[in-house]
Amino acid sequence: MRNKLANLGNGAHALAMQILGNADDAQDAVQDAFERVLRQPESYQPAKGTLKSWFLTIVRNGCIDQLRGRRTTEHQVERLLDAAPPPEQVAMNTERDSGVRAALAELPNEQRQILVLRDYLDLSYNELASVMDIPKGTVMSRLHRARLALKKGLENYDC
Amino acid sequence: MTVEHRGIDDHVGELLSGLVDGELTQQVRQRVELHCESCEQCAEDLQALRQVRERLGKAALSNTRTEQWRETMNDTHTSGVRTAGWLIFIGGLLLAGGAFLLVFLSETSVSIFEKVVFLAIYGGLGLLLYSVLRQRLIERKTDRYKDVEI
Repeated sequence: MRNKLANLGNGAHALAMQILGNADDAQDAVQDAFERVLRQPESYQPAKGTLKSWFLTIVRNGCIDQLRGRRTTEHQVERLLDAAPPPEQVAMNTERDSGVRAALAELPNEQRQILVLRDYLDLSYNELASVMDIPKGTVMSRLHRARLALKKGLENYDC
Repeated sequence: MTVEHRGIDDHVGELLSGLVDGELTQQVRQRVELHCESCEQCAEDLQALRQVRERLGKAALSNTRTEQWRETMNDTHTSGVRTAGWLIFIGGLLLAGGAFLLVFLSETSVSIFEKVVFLAIYGGLGLLLYSVLRQRLIERKTDRYKDVEI
């Protein structure tokens, strides 16, 4: 299980960064999720879904919990969830992906999440619905809107 | 079947994403594919969505390494040592406090009033500590992730 979880670390970190907008907080969130999972590995029930979607759900909920734990009001939490990540995320690593990261950073938090979960982490629609706690019937439309928004953003950055 | 082009923002457009993701039923997939064969705009949109998906899929969104996470997980032993450290520290503190209390209460040169004041201060602190510990225990028993909603 440790090996499988370690392989999910990068993807989970990418997701956490989209939610928290900060690499260090994202790292803490993933580490917390690891500790939580390893403390009670028996809480994973394969019949209910894949290890990947289960772990990402824990990471995502942990991130949102972390936002709430900052003693912010509901309004502030919503604002944080909608806020674009800071420049450190946008200016990360290679130049090749800078357009993708910049365009992604301009999207609302929920659109960033659904795009990363599907296109970066390759979750199925069922898994997406489970991780994001949304009806399966709305996954395709939300994802489509997010892709259109990203496409539009990419056009701006590619020019 | 005549399926006129209705633009990328409408129902057909949404199905394009479903097609990109391989999430359509065979019947719907065939219908959308047929439509794309006869509709240049939708074919272009489909291609564009595939490119968006591919670009995002290949992008470097995290600068961490798998080995790093493996090390991080192994580091959970540190948290165990930390817990043990705290337990030993608190245990020692309780023993020292108890011994001091015993000596203090049996001290004849201290008046009963002073003893009562002393007990009130440290008793109050003890109750506060107990309430915090109790709260922490309840939090640990409760699944704090379960009720989180976005």
